Amino acid sequence: MNPMNVGCKDRDRIFEDGSAAEWAALEAHAATCAACAEELRSWKSLSIAAAELRDHTDVPTLWPRIHQALVEQGATIEARREGRSWRSLFPNFSVSWQTAVAAAFVIVLMVSAGWFLRPRGGSQPGSLLKSKALVEVEHAESAYVQAIDKLAVEAKPQLENPATPLMANYREKILVLDSAIDELRAQTGQNPSNAHLRYELLAMYQEKQRTLEEILEEKR
Amino acid sequence: MGNVGLALAWEIRIPPIAQRGRRLEPFREQIAAPDANRMEDAALAAACRSGDLHAYERLYTLQGARMKNLARNILGSSTDAEDAVQETFLKVQRSIASFRGQSSFVTWTFRILVNTCYDARRSRLRKKEVTADDEPQHDDAAPRPEPRAAVAHPSLRLALERALAKLTRHQRDVFLLYEVEGFRHAEISGMLEITETASKNTLFQAKKNLRQMLEPPRASDAAGAR
Repeated sequence: MNPMNVGCKDRDRIFEDGSAAEWAALEAHAATCAACAEELRSWKSLSIAAAELRDHTDVPTLWPRIHQALVEQGATIEARREGRSWRSLFPNFSVSWQTAVAAAFVIVLMVSAGWFLRPRGGSQPGSLLKSKALVEVEHAESAYVQAIDKLAVEAKPQLENPATPLMANYREKILVLDSAIDELRAQTGQNPSNAHLRYELLAMYQEKQRTLEEILEEKR
Repeated sequence: MGNVGLALAWEIRIPPIAQRGRRLEPFREQIAAPDANRMEDAALAAACRSGDLHAYERLYTLQGARMKNLARNILGSSTDAEDAVQETFLKVQRSIASFRGQSSFVTWTFRILVNTCYDARRSRLRKKEVTADDEPQHDDAAPRPEPRAAVAHPSLRLALERALAKLTRHQRDVFLLYEVEGFRHAEISGMLEITETASKNTLFQAKKNLRQMLEPPRASDAAGAR
């Protein structure tokens, strides 16, 4: 009747980690052992009593509430994802590597621009601005810089104390852009009539403007 | 604290096993999760990852009641339990990209739920500015169960809730997950980040402690005491 030869001493071990066969053997043993029968019944009773804590009735208002919260959070996540789209250029790199690669790219761009656009003795009429046009460009550039500076002032508190990794990332990006802008301004100072350098500088300003706008958008 | 003082004997408090249906330990372990379940679990995770809100609704349909019941048993309040379930869904949505499929999606979700419940308990404690001296003997404060829907044995449930509150966190979690929610030890080990053996041992200790607290002193014990 008890082929596994289970006895009272095996009871706790079976309670803890007994196989189906061992449980069956223990039940067979309990048929002839009052102490084990009582222990077995008491042990099983706890499992049955646990059912008293099972209340799986549905709460009709809970899912609509969760759904609404998921929709709102989903929209926020999507907005952040779009804000970070520039980083997706380097999806397999960490944030610090992305920043380093972006900085390296800007440096390579500047060096290449400097190399190709360096003064070569003779004049390059196609790429040089005439003096009247140059005044207009510098005037427009100055107004543009002032507008961006106003944006930068608004974004300054967030950049100085970045509260999130995203904001820290933006801060790094602004630093890289500022560095590139300084370099390009220095070059345009030496070659004020060089239209290519002006375009490069304009592109950097536009990128900075977009970045500052994203920072202010995050703030809202 | 000793015995929680149920006046009725076990035989009267709990209907005979035959009336309640058999649900015994070792046999559940033999029920392997069918491939279909695993595939649905993976599909559910993939759909949630893609942002499909219907997938979250499916997850809620499948596990919502169980999640709320577990949270309620840990937190002792239906309102707090609903908040915890909602927060769990939001956490799942926020971190689904980091789910690598090392455990099942449901297991991962319940792990988040358990952690969320204990975060909520700690937060509640901080808000109430309860000092460490006021806390019970275990690592965190016991929930104060609120009234629930009528059941067959309200006094038994109340006694069980009180006794559970005196267990250690792990013993309580394993008991609730295994005995109340019907998870297997393999699943519980993933939820609580313990080994399967530790889960079995913890359940054993939990049940031993619960028996000590819930069972009236036996005649032989009383005689021995004299």
